Amino acid sequence: MPIDKHPDEPGRISRRELFKRGAMTGAGLMGLGAIGLNDVDSAFAAFLEAGNYPAKLVAAAEKEGHLNIIACPRDWANYGEIIDTYQSKWKMSITDAIPLGSSAQELQAVQNYKGQSRAPDTLDVSPAIALEAAQDKVLMPYKVATWSTIPADAKNSSGLWYADYYGVTSFLSVNQFVKNPPKEWADLTKPEYKGQVALGGDPRTSGEAFGAVFGAALAHGGSLNNIGPGIDFFAKIKAAGNWNPTLGNEIANDAKGATPIVIRWDYLTLADRDSLAKQGMKATVNVPSTVFAEYYCQAISKYAPHPNAAKLWQEFIYSDQGQLLYLKGYAHPIRYSDLAKRNKVPASLAKKLPASKHYNNIKFPTYAQLVKAQAVLTKEWGPKMGVS
Amino acid sequence: MRRFRLSPWNYLWIIVGAAYFLVPLWGTAEFSLETGIGKYGFSNYATILQDPTFKTDFLLSLKIAVETVIISLILMVPTMFWIELKLPRLKPVMDFIAVLPFVVPPITLAVGILHVFNRPILSLLLADEKILALTYVVLALPFTYRSLDAGMRAIDLRTLTEAAQSVGAGWVTILIRVVIPNIRFALLSAIFLTMTLVMGEYTIASLMLFNTFPVYIQYVGATQAQPAAALSMISFGLTWLGMLGILVLGRGVGQRQTVVGGAH
Amino acid sequence: MVSVTQEARAEPLPRPTGRLLSGGLPLAWLGVVPFFLYVTLFLLLPALSLIVGAFQTESGSLTLANVNSILQPQFTDAYKTSLELSAVTALSGGILGLLVAYSVVREGAPSWLRAVFTTFSGVAANFAGIPLAFAFIATLGVTGIVTVFLRDRGIDIYSDGFTLYHFTGLAITYTYFQFPLMILIITPSLDGLRREWREAATNLGASTWQFWRMVGLPILLPALLGAMVLLFGNAFAAYATAYALVGGTLNLVPLLIGISMSSDLFANPNLGDALAAGMIVIIAVAMLFYALLMRRAARWRR
Repeated sequence: MPIDKHPDEPGRISRRELFKRGAMTGAGLMGLGAIGLNDVDSAFAAFLEAGNYPAKLVAAAEKEGHLNIIACPRDWANYGEIIDTYQSKWKMSITDAIPLGSSAQELQAVQNYKGQSRAPDTLDVSPAIALEAAQDKVLMPYKVATWSTIPADAKNSSGLWYADYYGVTSFLSVNQFVKNPPKEWADLTKPEYKGQVALGGDPRTSGEAFGAVFGAALAHGGSLNNIGPGIDFFAKIKAAGNWNPTLGNEIANDAKGATPIVIRWDYLTLADRDSLAKQGMKATVNVPSTVFAEYYCQAISKYAPHPNAAKLWQEFIYSDQGQLLYLKGYAHPIRYSDLAKRNKVPASLAKKLPASKHYNNIKFPTYAQLVKAQAVLTKEWGPKMGVS
Repeated sequence: MRRFRLSPWNYLWIIVGAAYFLVPLWGTAEFSLETGIGKYGFSNYATILQDPTFKTDFLLSLKIAVETVIISLILMVPTMFWIELKLPRLKPVMDFIAVLPFVVPPITLAVGILHVFNRPILSLLLADEKILALTYVVLALPFTYRSLDAGMRAIDLRTLTEAAQSVGAGWVTILIRVVIPNIRFALLSAIFLTMTLVMGEYTIASLMLFNTFPVYIQYVGATQAQPAAALSMISFGLTWLGMLGILVLGRGVGQRQTVVGGAH
Repeated sequence: MVSVTQEARAEPLPRPTGRLLSGGLPLAWLGVVPFFLYVTLFLLLPALSLIVGAFQTESGSLTLANVNSILQPQFTDAYKTSLELSAVTALSGGILGLLVAYSVVREGAPSWLRAVFTTFSGVAANFAGIPLAFAFIATLGVTGIVTVFLRDRGIDIYSDGFTLYHFTGLAITYTYFQFPLMILIITPSLDGLRREWREAATNLGASTWQFWRMVGLPILLPALLGAMVLLFGNAFAAYATAYALVGGTLNLVPLLIGISMSSDLFANPNLGDALAAGMIVIIAVAMLFYALLMRRAARWRR
């Protein structure tokens, strides 16, 4: 959570580019999807990549000088580098409150700190909470320059929130404790994994654990409308003696053998793998054939104490540079297909990711499907998993 | 016949108690010294101590702890003196209030306080970490109350006060120069318990969006392996040394205890 | 705990008249106004908002739905487990704490021993959450030092059915902060156990056991039980350690409150309020016992 200011950086905007950008901004913003000025948007995105952000926005943001973000751990989807880059690109400092916070806590912080200078400016929350926040009318609409390249099913049409990155369910196995890392869901019930299979949290409250159960559902005859088979599958894992109730979202537990196999989002398992490697421990990440995918959403608080800093943050996140930083953290940025189409994904980075076949046919659930699944899960997880 | 020696049973329980304290710490320490498979060293400690966030968050917690102690003592010492002296009938009420903080879960307390204070003038208090100190005073109430109560009961407050008044001392003088020196150990105990509470409290600090030392510890604990264990050891050690320091200081400064009148 | 070790005062002096009692009731009450104002703002109002919230829906209208919800089996089950865990650790922490506290506080014990134990207790009583959970994983977990130590000697506690990640393991972990808390709470009462009584009993020919059975324990009992009630409340409200060690696989009330109020998915703060209000009722009853017991204990110490 670095809060020290960065050294000065001179602006690099020439008058000619100002002109170009002015025209492009106008055209680009008008062309949101409806008119289909894809070339214009791509060119504008190219401008963002080149580091040319609207001078007025940058000036206003730098005048505010500060940005309050919340619940963005440095090792989650490479937020550490994203935070550092934002602070060094412009004269900005960032405070990251409660890095371990949940999405609901982010929303509560917005409501509890209305009008305070310490209130959060931007949010990175689950879709369900984003929708709730929109309903509670605490979000500020803002459409980033690259708006049209965000898929329609991953954004709110008024610009209140939009997806920033997504992940799919994956398995992390610590080699020291797991000789034969599981590759598919069915493997998880094998006797060799006794007491080893863990989740990153309680599925009734943790997004990644919820995703794991949903993934199991999709792999066992369930659907986005039916999470039941997923719960049954975990009950089967428990009956086989393979279930491990310890939280797998702590790297120390992985290292100590307390959670030899963990089912988490791919950007988390891959980052964990790298963390363990730093301490000399080898781990394997496998993505099963059937996955559940979910995205997180960016939004600006209506009561943001630093609204321009927040907007600049959004522009940065949705620029090519920002989106690629997510990719560096193994999280697929929401604009991935656009980046790939324009050949913007560096080959070295693409190589480190799981095979693209895992991501080709993913479908995100709708709000109604999420509500239904959550209700079923809350009711049945306790009894079926023999919680006592 | 006087018993000057500890019995074997005493030794047993001392050893059991010490073991219960130390074995889990040893487990953490052993893990904190791992720098690779089969390798040991202090590099994890270096990682933590060089982290600028460690210093920032530790100092923030220390600051809040000191503020909490000051507010707590200013609030509690005069109040309890007054009740002991003039309103002993209020004791049962105080007993009850002093255990209420156990009853309200931290999550609720934090949200409740934020609701109460998020309105025009009061919201000035939300601007910085003082709100956390003010909340911790309440959280520490059971401990400060018990300590100060034990202290005040054990001295002859009435006689001391009367004697001081008979030589013309005002209330403030009585408090500062008569009461406080005589409840020194109780004060130390209260300060002690308050500070360890603040240095270890996580839930409310995180709900109020403060990056205090316990928030930092939880964060490192969730995101790093061996360095987190090193941090656990460092924080335990620092807090313990701090408490020993307060104890030694408190005992060392002014050995004499003023006893005016009263009986032996 | 560190306490005033002066000789306690003897029989109360004759009540003084005059200045101390002048001033009348209204003026005297002014002196405690700051305290009660503070407590109202920072404790009573938040507690009240909790109770009110338990009877409201998200939009603010009155309802009994939340109260009905918590009477469902999954929630009453959570209360039961929480109560069991709290009672067990109040006992384990209470007894161990008492035995250790007495051993380091009694006459004959070197004063440095007392200082070490009480300062350590101060830190350990607040050692909770992820660091504590991990300390026990590093000790009694699958590759923990004690587990490995025993395994090397042929005892595999895990194959014998033990697991750190359920009720027993959690109880053992909770005891880590319960027994130091007991040490801190009970020490002033132990100090009050006057040496003269022990000497007198011994002079009359009583053995250690007889002393305790007929003099020591009866005197200490109210304070002991009172302390255990405090320990009970402490364990009942504990959240961070439980979440770190068992996630959601043990049905505990604080964990369910956490699920209701701080989730990645949906938040239901009013249900959380109802659960917490239930906790208040239970703990308030426990604290009532505590208040009664403490009153009896005070009699002996005057």
